[in-house]
Amino acid sequence: MSLPDCLRHTFSPEEIQFIVENELIKIFPRITTRQNIRSRNAGQRPNVKCQLITTNDHNVNNMVAMQSTEVALWLALLLKQQKKCSIVAPQWLTIKELESLIQFEKANSDRFSAMPWNWLVVAQLLFKRAPDDFHDPVHALRGKIQDLREIRQVKVLKGLRHLNESHLQLDNLSLLEINELRPSIIGIMDKLRQIHSAAHASGNSNTDDQQAEIADY
Amino acid sequence: MGYFDIEDVLADSVEVPCKFQFKMPGLGYLEGNPGRAIEKNSKLNLPLWLARILAIVGGGSDEDTEYEPEEPIPFVELLKPDFFATKFINSAKASPESLDVHSVNAYFYSLAVKWITLFEDKELASVVSEMLLARALEINNHAGSVNIVTSTTTTDSRLESHSVHFESANKNSQFLMTLDQFEKDLHRHAHDSYKQTKRWMVER
Repeated sequence: MSLPDCLRHTFSPEEIQFIVENELIKIFPRITTRQNIRSRNAGQRPNVKCQLITTNDHNVNNMVAMQSTEVALWLALLLKQQKKCSIVAPQWLTIKELESLIQFEKANSDRFSAMPWNWLVVAQLLFKRAPDDFHDPVHALRGKIQDLREIRQVKVLKGLRHLNESHLQLDNLSLLEINELRPSIIGIMDKLRQIHSAAHASGNSNTDDQQAEIADY
Repeated sequence: MGYFDIEDVLADSVEVPCKFQFKMPGLGYLEGNPGRAIEKNSKLNLPLWLARILAIVGGGSDEDTEYEPEEPIPFVELLKPDFFATKFINSAKASPESLDVHSVNAYFYSLAVKWITLFEDKELASVVSEMLLARALEINNHAGSVNIVTSTTTTDSRLESHSVHFESANKNSQFLMTLDQFEKDLHRHAHDSYKQTKRWMVER
């Protein structure tokens, strides 16, 4: 068909990255795009203004060097590539904060800690593209992120035991984690549902039979 | 289970044992001797697509009995095939992971769903869903193990190209030989997903 088989029911990790890159992130620009009134009046050089249609371009045209501002992540990465800004790591991407999240994960074996929905992707992107912008050493952060990922994977495996034909609650599971589980969970639950609905096709009409069966068990 | 679903077509061609409840003139070719009639109470294996419809539609009342039955007797009676026999069900209850489903029937789950639909067999349904869940956890474990294989191929004397492969850690595992068709698809999709995610995490 027009869409490749592997993309028909799920996202590829690259598409997940694309979705995450639309989020806003804080940066320190190293360039000034704001036009002060004097130079505008002088009209010495014609300035090029960014006109974006998928994101708000107000911040882009009002950047002052070393004054923090918020832009979309894709734009931040582009600027970072040209050394025109440095990216401010989000609040949760610090050793201290990650340590407390790991503590929470270890203390509560039945739930996931409240990470942002894009934590894994943002962490990976920033580690690769902006490793010099962290206050904490990157290798330590990397280790903490890996710890968190492994703890959560163990919990996911534990949760798979409770798959059923009706529903599943996955609070605080991030988008990339859901995406890698999607084919297996959907496959299993869909088959369970087929078996269940085959057995209970006319089950709603004769509830007496069901009552009798429950009594038998 | 769509009309054009290849797996479904193949599952429908699995033969199940049937017993004819009427004498059927002219249908002897089902038994292998064309031109003759099929005798009443003769047992033969019919593909499920034929057996299913013959087990539903009936030929009016039986000529041997005098009274009119309330429900018309269908042409054939489906007998329990050996992949739903008590022996297999007991081993499925005992240890689902070590069961060789593929050797029992390559389309076990599709057939189970069809069989359960026909007979509303709630007991079989609960056994099969327990078994599916237990085996699915094992499949997920196998699918999740992705190896990174780095191979250096010296195609050019000056250029050494490093290529990174992502392979299943357990290629010739005994367990993967016992999967039925549905489980194979499940394993393939799950494994591809884990592999892609790992590739994205490691590369770029």
